[in-house]
Amino acid sequence: MSDVSLRGVRKSYGALEVVHGVDLDIRSGEFVVFVGPSGCGKSTLLRMIAGLEPISGGEVSIGGRVVNDVPSPQRGIAMVFQSYALYPHMSVYENMAFGLKLAKTPKAEVDQRVREAARILQIEPYLDRMPKALSGGQRQRVAIGRAIVRDPKVFLFDEPLSNLDAALRAQTRVEIAKLHDTLDATMIYVTHDQVEAMTLADRIVVLNSGRIEQVGTPLELYREPVNTFVAGFIASQRMNFIDVTPTPDGVMLPGKILLPIQHAGLASARTLGVRPEHLELASDGAADLSGTLAVIEQFGEYALAYVEMPSGETITLKLDGAPELHLHETIHIKVPPEAIHLFDEAGRALR
Amino acid sequence: MEENRPSRLTAIALTFMAVIWVSPFSWLILNAFNPLSTGQLEIPSVVGFDNFGLAVSGNAGRQFINSMLIAAGTATLSVIVGISAAYPLSRLKIPGRNAFLWTLVLLRMLPAAGVLVPLYFTAQRTGLLNQLGVIIALTILNLPFTLLLLKNFFDTVPIELEEAAYVEGASLLQIVTRIVLPMSRAGIAVVWFFSFTGAWNEFLLPLIFARVQDAFPMSVGLYAAFGQQGAINYGFLTAFSIIYAAPAVGVYFLLRRNMNTGFAGVGVKG
Repeated sequence: MSDVSLRGVRKSYGALEVVHGVDLDIRSGEFVVFVGPSGCGKSTLLRMIAGLEPISGGEVSIGGRVVNDVPSPQRGIAMVFQSYALYPHMSVYENMAFGLKLAKTPKAEVDQRVREAARILQIEPYLDRMPKALSGGQRQRVAIGRAIVRDPKVFLFDEPLSNLDAALRAQTRVEIAKLHDTLDATMIYVTHDQVEAMTLADRIVVLNSGRIEQVGTPLELYREPVNTFVAGFIASQRMNFIDVTPTPDGVMLPGKILLPIQHAGLASARTLGVRPEHLELASDGAADLSGTLAVIEQFGEYALAYVEMPSGETITLKLDGAPELHLHETIHIKVPPEAIHLFDEAGRALR
Repeated sequence: MEENRPSRLTAIALTFMAVIWVSPFSWLILNAFNPLSTGQLEIPSVVGFDNFGLAVSGNAGRQFINSMLIAAGTATLSVIVGISAAYPLSRLKIPGRNAFLWTLVLLRMLPAAGVLVPLYFTAQRTGLLNQLGVIIALTILNLPFTLLLLKNFFDTVPIELEEAAYVEGASLLQIVTRIVLPMSRAGIAVVWFFSFTGAWNEFLLPLIFARVQDAFPMSVGLYAAFGQQGAINYGFLTAFSIIYAAPAVGVYFLLRRNMNTGFAGVGVKG
């Protein structure tokens, strides 16, 4: 068993508390991604699980054993660092064998495990090279290989892709997903990139200023964000938020247009959220919102239109294909009632 | 006249400067290889190594070994003590550690002669008026710079490397000996060579601490060799000087090689 559970985990530096009581259960074999803006405490949380930061309060257990006072090497974890942390004075082989040699593993077994990991990661040709003779992507693999050879119960990744360029990042992302499938190990992965979170995770943990905002599968988070923070953070194009006034029959949009909605919590609705990909172009008469096209970004397969409302807000639309729109023309937008999210004054989603 | 050619006046001036610079060295070399040296600047009629033979045998040879002992001992002790103190200074958040370091450096700026009397009495009381005393005293005087240099080198070793090693099960001692020290090779070499040259050149402390001829290093021996047996033996003196200067030159080349190769492996990002 290698599930990880956190019970009221806190971290403070002196009087300053940065992680405020986190409760989380990670099942054995699960791929969990901690995501959040910088400074939200996601790396600190990971380092506490790794045993690199003392835990100020609460309990961390790995495989059913409380590890608060267990030193890092005995926790059965392996960590991949953002900078890879390869030992520059050792060859790739020595880097991967370092931990096993420290544990006085028989030489034949060290050799067998290093070669096996190298085979999985396709880095066999580089075993005799020094890290400085490798490209960023190759170093990344060596860092992962160093974790694999130790056969840990839990893999911890601290923003492992942030030093790679965009193309390599996408490729390595796929490889990490495959690796998780092959190894069937528990993986905890920290990133600030919501695309990595969406594509890799079995479950995503969204963190904000030291608290968990929401835990769920990527699609749960996409479809039913619990608050404006999660709604705005998840998905590649940020959700549009529009201030609205509730009426008995629906919500009043800024242009004094009524959007008819049936919703139990309608009375406390203050903000309407709608994702750019759910908005549609409409004719003048059927429009819910109208504004001036301020910027259009054409990607070929889709386009992003940034429309400035008379109230000064900007609404983003994601339109399929390559629509023929001209700057400064008036855009009429239809808001499909089934695609909207309603939030109360505190930013909590209304269900 | 071509534009880039120096004028005749410049040429004469440069030649004059060159002669001024080169003549002491040529005097040194010509006399050293002249067994019949008289201390004049002249082309020797016979060329031989007799002077060098004299300069490495007997008392002179003994002094060479003393110098080596003092210099290598000081350098090694400085490195060991320096590492043990600089590593914690680099890694632990000790309040006022930088102020502490720079205060030490300030103290080192004071002339060594200023602390000579207390040093002497301390050594006398502790029975260290010998070569070991010289080594310890020089190490103490070296320590501020040693600390500062080594701390800066340790600072460049990314903490993530140590964390990675720790997660993999390395003890603190293993982290230091297998990660930090190999990565700071260049820094350690620089400190060792500087301490070596410093101790090799040191004159005052050995003169006062080692009061018998057998314990003199070359720096003191050279001084004492003036006027020995009533006359100055210039051939012996020049050969002795060349041997005395050789390690400094050697260290210079070793140092250059280390400075060039030592830094290459430090970066991890890429």
